[in-house]
Amino acid sequence: MWFFVLFESMIFTAYFGVYLYHRGQHETAFLAAQSHLDLGLGVLDTIALLASSWAVARSVQAARSGRYDAARRDALLTAGFGGVFAVLKVVEWVHQVHAGNTFTSQEFFQFYFFLTAIHFIHLLIGFVVIGVLVRQLSGVERRNQETVETCATYWHTVDFLWVLIFALVYVVR
Amino acid sequence: MRRPTWLDSPKRELWLAWGATVGFYNLYAVVFFLITRTQPPGQPSYGDAGVVSWFASHHDGLLVGMAFIFALGGLSSTSLALITYSIRRMSVSRAYAYAYLLVYAVAAIPGFLFICVAMTAGAMRPDRSPELQRWLYDLGFLSFSGTMGVFLIGSLVWMTAILLDKNRVFPKWFGYLNLCNALTEVVVAPAWFFDRGAFAWNGLVAWWINVFVFGIYTGVFITLLRSMIRREDFGTGPLPDLPPRKPRRSPENAVATAAS
Repeated sequence: MWFFVLFESMIFTAYFGVYLYHRGQHETAFLAAQSHLDLGLGVLDTIALLASSWAVARSVQAARSGRYDAARRDALLTAGFGGVFAVLKVVEWVHQVHAGNTFTSQEFFQFYFFLTAIHFIHLLIGFVVIGVLVRQLSGVERRNQETVETCATYWHTVDFLWVLIFALVYVVR
Repeated sequence: MRRPTWLDSPKRELWLAWGATVGFYNLYAVVFFLITRTQPPGQPSYGDAGVVSWFASHHDGLLVGMAFIFALGGLSSTSLALITYSIRRMSVSRAYAYAYLLVYAVAAIPGFLFICVAMTAGAMRPDRSPELQRWLYDLGFLSFSGTMGVFLIGSLVWMTAILLDKNRVFPKWFGYLNLCNALTEVVVAPAWFFDRGAFAWNGLVAWWINVFVFGIYTGVFITLLRSMIRREDFGTGPLPDLPPRKPRRSPENAVATAAS
């Protein structure tokens, strides 16, 4: 899984590099378009994902100490916070589209929709991963600490990538 | 003349398929990057005059290069056969191998045949209406760059099989590399919306990053297929590890051994 984390970080670094290059080329237009983003929603997104990372870390700790019921509850809580993030993200997209900011409307929003959508796909895969985690924790014969930690590492990657997207797309002026 | 030992090896068919795979990917790179110069792709923003000029400047390369692909493109089936074999060698259900085989059985069409047909047709009659030439140009590049769905699903099928496998046919990290490759196939989809910028069919995101990842992925899977063939014992359980390499004899050791 660490290979995935490193390789995806490399690919996202390349995406961010392309974004920053284009931003540098059309700084005024990017700043003007960026002001249409709802920073408050972005902060809520970030809190939801950070909370989900906290929950999955608790799940790993509980599994390490053999408290599998608590670990499973925390894994479900992780998926719950992830679900909150997903709903907030869809609400934000709908809001932007209604405001006329679509994938093809201007260059900043090409990158905004691209980066948030590719991250959303990682999140959807994350729900499958959390499903694997819950299944692992549910059956005595299936419990495997290595798989538990692998699933948690994936989820932390989703969170880590979001924090970078939030900083670059929402916050940096 | 002595008969090469590998011809008598029970693995000769596997080595032939592997050699054909290496040959195919080299041919693919030479034809698309050097002979036809269809990769990196032409500008999607060209108007009618630009496309006519593009076909004129690529005319000979397109006809010669695509002829090689039409003649030898069938070699792509060897990598499909080897990968399907690798999945059959795993401890997972045969359904993965069949799914992969069926998905990739159609992959040659968006993978290279469509662009070959469209570009060859464009190069064949350069005096054709510029509008029709532009249509062939768009069809060629969009079919090549914008149809990554089969590769996306194929990578996910192979990834799942590797991660579930208990026969250690491939290392787990390669399963995750399949996921990375699948995720970069997704980012090509915006090529249908744009004719310039990072997301166009020749853009930094849709083409350059994608091809960089695909190049690494292809090099890695060809190397791992070679390792699989070397480890293959034709059994059904876990693949044995390769024996450790013998340490190279230093000149001093060689002299000492000879003296003794």
